Amino acid sequence: MAIESMTVEAATALASGYTAIGAGLAVGLAGVGTGIGEMGIGAAAVGATAEDRGMFGLALLFTVLPETVVIFGLVIALLLIFV
Amino acid sequence: MTEVMSGIAPYIYVSTRMRVRKAKLIPREEYLRMLNMGLPEFTRLIEELEYKREIDELSASFKGVDLIENAMSWNLAKEYQRVIALAPGEMKGFTRDYLHKWDIQNILSILRGKELGFSDGKIRAVLVPAGALDAPTLDRLIAESSSERIVEQLPIKQMSAILSEGLSEALETHSFGKIENELYKYYYATLIKAARGGMKGGLPFLKYVMFEIDIKNITSVFRMRAQGGDNAAQQNIWIPGGSFKPEELERLSSVESTDEVVDSLKKKIKVTVLLDALESLREKKPIYSIESTLIATQLNQMDKVSKRNPFSISPLLVYLERKKYEVSNLRAIARGKEAGLDAEILEKYLVM
Repeated sequence: MAIESMTVEAATALASGYTAIGAGLAVGLAGVGTGIGEMGIGAAAVGATAEDRGMFGLALLFTVLPETVVIFGLVIALLLIFV
Repeated sequence: MTEVMSGIAPYIYVSTRMRVRKAKLIPREEYLRMLNMGLPEFTRLIEELEYKREIDELSASFKGVDLIENAMSWNLAKEYQRVIALAPGEMKGFTRDYLHKWDIQNILSILRGKELGFSDGKIRAVLVPAGALDAPTLDRLIAESSSERIVEQLPIKQMSAILSEGLSEALETHSFGKIENELYKYYYATLIKAARGGMKGGLPFLKYVMFEIDIKNITSVFRMRAQGGDNAAQQNIWIPGGSFKPEELERLSSVESTDEVVDSLKKKIKVTVLLDALESLREKKPIYSIESTLIATQLNQMDKVSKRNPFSISPLLVYLERKKYEVSNLRAIARGKEAGLDAEILEKYLVM
């Protein structure tokens, strides 16, 4: 569809569509990145906890640290949608 | 991508477990404390450590220091089998190959024990079934009537071939030294072949094996020098595959000046910790002190490499070696205390 022949409504709908895709990518890619980060930490955390139960709390804390990356993604997504 | 990711996690998991286990090993300060204890106090302490289960299991069959010694060997064997079970992928193969040296040690202990006329129970007490030959197989071999039958019944065919080739000479001369050298050459050749087999993680393993060969050869150089360097060629003790050629090592073992030996060794060595250790060997030291220095160097280098390659075979090998020396240290303390040796003398024999 050529841009010149678009109505204002269609252009607005297209823009909000792109915004939604952007927001989805922001959360999705941040989630994938977090997953990759947590893979290594999680494996090490389970290994350490298997040897010493006392490490569970600290191991859990380290495992969830990469979750912050998803929060950044979520913030970007919210900014895209609502601002 | 999924395959790559799922492939890394088990290595991280196992490496971390090995690191935690290594951290739980007895620290230097604890050894120093043990050296100042009496035998009953030391025995009580050992019973409180992770050897408790094995001590309970064997308490019906052994008493006193024999019980401690056997419990430690048994614990070591079980621990090594657990590590093999934990190791993922290629690590399992490398670990099995590496622990093959216990098979050599066990089979030689059986042959030597039989030759010297020890009882089956006494021979069994010194075995550590940490390699491919498990406890029932070793029991079957001990029960065989002659050395020839033991060699015939040995399930590891390459080892059996080497043993049968040199057995008659060993029995005639009452010395298994030559066979032992041949077996260790075969062992290191197998490790190098496995490391060069193109499997993932082979390079750090190869580097480690070459370093271990260098340490073994350097130790042999100093040992031969201490003995007068007369039968190096005859015994053919040099292990190929390291930084030095056998002819070079043979020449060094008969050189008079220690400075010249150290300088020649330093020319081929690139590892900093070993260079420093060699420098400290310039001054005249007893052979046990040289050996402890070299073992400590080897362990320190392994520690360094394992930190550089955290998710490789290195953390696992470091743990296996450190655990071996923990057991040998505790055995030395137990036997030393039983014999009434002074703490200062005992300390020199410990690897801390």
